[in-house]
Amino acid sequence: MAKDVNAERRRRASPLTDLMKPGQKNLRRAGLLSAVAAMLWPLQAWLVAEALGSLLTGKPISAAGVALGFAAIGLLRGLLHWQAEALAQRSADTVVADVRANIVRREARRSAESAIGGAGAIAALATEKLQMLVPYATRYLPAQIRVSTVPLLILMLAFWHSWAAGLILLISGPLIPVFMALVGMAAKEASARQMVEIGSINDALVERLSALLDIRLLGAGQTVEAGFAASAGDLRRRTMAVLSIAFLSSTVLELFAAIGVAMMAVYVGFTLLGTISFGTWGMGLSPAAGIFLLLLAPDFYQPLRDLASAWHDRASAAAVADEIAAWEADETTVMPGQGRRTAPLAGPASIRLSGCVSASGARLPEVSIAPGESVALVGPSGAGKTSALRLMAGLAVPAQGAVIVGDHCLTDETADAWRSRLGWMPQAPHFLNASIRHNLTLGRQGDLSAALTQAGVDAVVAGLPQGLSTRLGERGAGLSGGEARRLTLARAIFSKPDVVLADEPTADLDAETARIVADGLIAVAKRGATLVIATHDMTLARRMDRIIRIGDFGGIA
Amino acid sequence: MSALWQIFRIIIRDQRVALLRGAALGIVVLIMGVTLLGLSGWFITAASAAGLAGLGTVFDVFRPSAMVRFLALGRTAARYGERLLTHDATLRALETLRLRLLRSYLTAPLQRMQRIRGPQALNRLMADIDALDGVPLRLVLPFCSALVVQLMAAMALWFLVSPVIALWITIGWTAGAVLVFWPSLVMATPLSRQREAAAQAFRTRLIDLIGSRRDLAVYGRLADQVQAVTAAESRRLAIPLDRVDRATGLALSCLATLVGAGTLWLGLQAAQDGLLPPAFAALAFFAALALFETIAPLRRAASDLGRMAEAARRVRRDLARPDGKPVEQPATARDTSAAAGPALAIHDLRLMRQDGDALLIDGLGLDVAAGETVALTGTSGCGKSTILLSIAGLSPVAGGEIRVLGRDLSAWPEAALREVLTLLPQRSAIMAGTLRETLQLADPGQSDDMLWSVLKCVHLERLAQERGGLDTRLGHFGEGLSGGEARRLALARALLRRPHVLLLDEPTEGLDDETARAVLAGIRAFLPDAAILMASHRPVEKAQADRLILLD
Repeated sequence: MAKDVNAERRRRASPLTDLMKPGQKNLRRAGLLSAVAAMLWPLQAWLVAEALGSLLTGKPISAAGVALGFAAIGLLRGLLHWQAEALAQRSADTVVADVRANIVRREARRSAESAIGGAGAIAALATEKLQMLVPYATRYLPAQIRVSTVPLLILMLAFWHSWAAGLILLISGPLIPVFMALVGMAAKEASARQMVEIGSINDALVERLSALLDIRLLGAGQTVEAGFAASAGDLRRRTMAVLSIAFLSSTVLELFAAIGVAMMAVYVGFTLLGTISFGTWGMGLSPAAGIFLLLLAPDFYQPLRDLASAWHDRASAAAVADEIAAWEADETTVMPGQGRRTAPLAGPASIRLSGCVSASGARLPEVSIAPGESVALVGPSGAGKTSALRLMAGLAVPAQGAVIVGDHCLTDETADAWRSRLGWMPQAPHFLNASIRHNLTLGRQGDLSAALTQAGVDAVVAGLPQGLSTRLGERGAGLSGGEARRLTLARAIFSKPDVVLADEPTADLDAETARIVADGLIAVAKRGATLVIATHDMTLARRMDRIIRIGDFGGIA
Repeated sequence: MSALWQIFRIIIRDQRVALLRGAALGIVVLIMGVTLLGLSGWFITAASAAGLAGLGTVFDVFRPSAMVRFLALGRTAARYGERLLTHDATLRALETLRLRLLRSYLTAPLQRMQRIRGPQALNRLMADIDALDGVPLRLVLPFCSALVVQLMAAMALWFLVSPVIALWITIGWTAGAVLVFWPSLVMATPLSRQREAAAQAFRTRLIDLIGSRRDLAVYGRLADQVQAVTAAESRRLAIPLDRVDRATGLALSCLATLVGAGTLWLGLQAAQDGLLPPAFAALAFFAALALFETIAPLRRAASDLGRMAEAARRVRRDLARPDGKPVEQPATARDTSAAAGPALAIHDLRLMRQDGDALLIDGLGLDVAAGETVALTGTSGCGKSTILLSIAGLSPVAGGEIRVLGRDLSAWPEAALREVLTLLPQRSAIMAGTLRETLQLADPGQSDDMLWSVLKCVHLERLAQERGGLDTRLGHFGEGLSGGEARRLALARALLRRPHVLLLDEPTEGLDDETARAVLAGIRAFLPDAAILMASHRPVEKAQADRLILLD
């Protein structure tokens, strides 16, 4: 039973330990350096105690010598600490940068949304949440090493002078970790709740901020504000819950430390006055030794206090590590290829789906499209039209079956080369935070004005206050839906592709715009390119060479 | 810097009492800390002097040791109270600030609203405002209490110990702090601004990467965008801000050592010369060390100042936008009384193009009576959408008159206008949530019966039943709905407002003719008395209108 609990604890502790592994060695060295720095204090304390003791006994001392010695050791201590900080910061940066790079790499090639949440939630994970590992590495871990070394040294020094003084420290010290362990559990739970709140508030906000106009027109501003006020209030309460646990734990620690130091002061004071005469190995306590003991006592507790004040750093880091572990465990299929520009794949622009089952489990029919053919995929919503197009574009891999383009099977090696022959119109336009020009050319060479004219959007762009330099909202705010759609058409035909794949190119468009878009696509087909569209629009479908039904063949395996 | 000050004023105005109490407690904590250490040093030295002199039995042990215990416990309690109080107050003030910022986004003029990008506004609302917590917690409060405690310590040491030692300690700490922090600030401020810019670039680019990954993959830009995201991160890491911060830490620790060593020297010398009892030399030395606690917290402020100033500047810029009505108001808001007449009356309306140098609409006049449906038609870009936006009070009017329910548009407060008039724009966003939540955005607390009946009007009833009723979850940006379904859901949402005047911008685009006809009939059935003005292209919409108005 006890074994189970231990195993459970190890398992729970592991995501954070695993995460920090790459920086472990340097972090340990940083901790040792900071411990050595902390161990210099007894030397300084001894100098001061000797000097004050000599004042009392009338022994002559050099004031300048003592002050210089004190300063020299102090400078050394500062330098060691400085080195330790630099080392810890460097290793923390490395760890965080690695995880961040991993997130970027993996999110880039996911072919479906992550279960963690949308772009807002992932961005929150990769930025402010991940950053919480840094204080854990720079504050908590070094403090942990100091805790296991510095108090031991001070304890030995105290026992050397007086077993009673040593006993005071020995008894008050170990109580602290017991208490801290209890607090630590509560702290982690509170941090985890705070993390969840941060993620969901980010996701909700990024959406609401993209829907400002709708909210306003529905007179829902106050409702949205009230909703946001409620979740912001929740976030504050959860943050305060984490903080108050942290404050409470450090308060209790300070209390223990204060009681310990006060007991030491009373013992030393009474011994020096001669009221108490036990505990000094029968040798009595010199004034210098008394002052030395008193100077040491607070530093016996200092590492523990450092650890306590960093305790919620650990709790937050553990919560972040758990979330990263959950993110890593959430395996979705990966887009083939690297998404790099390469030389186009040689061979005819034909596409064949052979025995394909999409990642979502939809069984697709055998599809074979000849070069230069124009084809409409039709069928009910959810039957797999979009999945089929994504397979053809090499944006997803089939769960079963193969996609054959030209003479090649679509794989990691051929996907980039295949895609450099493609023009692509997604169902929902999404624009980068850059000018229209960049959004359309995406760094490719070509005649932009021809593409704009063919897509019937040249006048629209010319009418924008900053023309091609205008920045659009990420969903095309600033343009009508039809205009945004026509921009994606211009982007698709800009580089004169061999193959154009369009997902619902005329959905949500008025008849005239739909005609412009359809004409633009058909002009591409006339030029000899292969054209595949997924559509509900039968007028458009009938203008293609061939119609392929998707989803009507449930019985065929 | 003025932005920081302005933000701090907003924060203090919001939480004046709590922050003042927190500041007072913070000062108490520091004073008790300095007193505690000074007193302990004095106590032990004085006790051993008495012991050596054989006066142990007459030395008053109890009062100083009781004082030491009181200070130790009191300081701990005060510290706890101070932390809770200031953190809670700061978080509350930031919450208020967040709400104000969101409100200014929600009421921004149309043109600006269209340019607000989700990720950037999110940066403002979350990251920037989070960065501002340092303004009271790490900058203003620690600075003020450091100043007060240093001055009080200087006076106490002057009278208790000696003027020379008091001057050494106070001047050492204050002048030393200025010498340390000034260059640190000069170096760190631009660096932390750059670092923050890099962090925000990383965030924006990452959101772009995730949102557009398929487009980027097809056009071979995925690897480049990954590169751009990574570049922002490397730029952030390359900025030597933490080096400046560590150097500041080193300088501070040297300063502490110097002040301590100097006090030790002066104290020992004075005691050896018989000018000062050894116990007071000890007191001065311990107090000098304890005063480090007043200066140390400012290190964080120094390295964060640039980031805070930048965040404050951006937040203030977004807050400062006029948050009043976006309609350019005519000089006089005449006759606010409701008069008889058509629900919507437009007379001699003139509208400018968005770029503002040519007339888009010149002298348009039309009336829509209650229960009537009017369709505006004309080629793309002839201004249909702009007319609807102007009637909804979102786009400026260059001349002429718009009267809603007999009252001049400029005389309508925005909230009241939204109660009687609704516009379904050409593109609407559906947010993640259940169907019920989506619909209730328009009318919180509306009964399920009403929601079902509006779904029926837009022919989404079957879809809702098949998918799992009103609790059906929609993904981000309405994922899971086809374009036509999303359109009808947005329409249902608009209908739930039950307005007197309903403006529809191409309401049935994306629907087949049969569904479009049924939906249009459903709209009329749901709102029999509304005045409906549509911008229309499709014959099926025009056929349903009582009247057509051709723009050219």
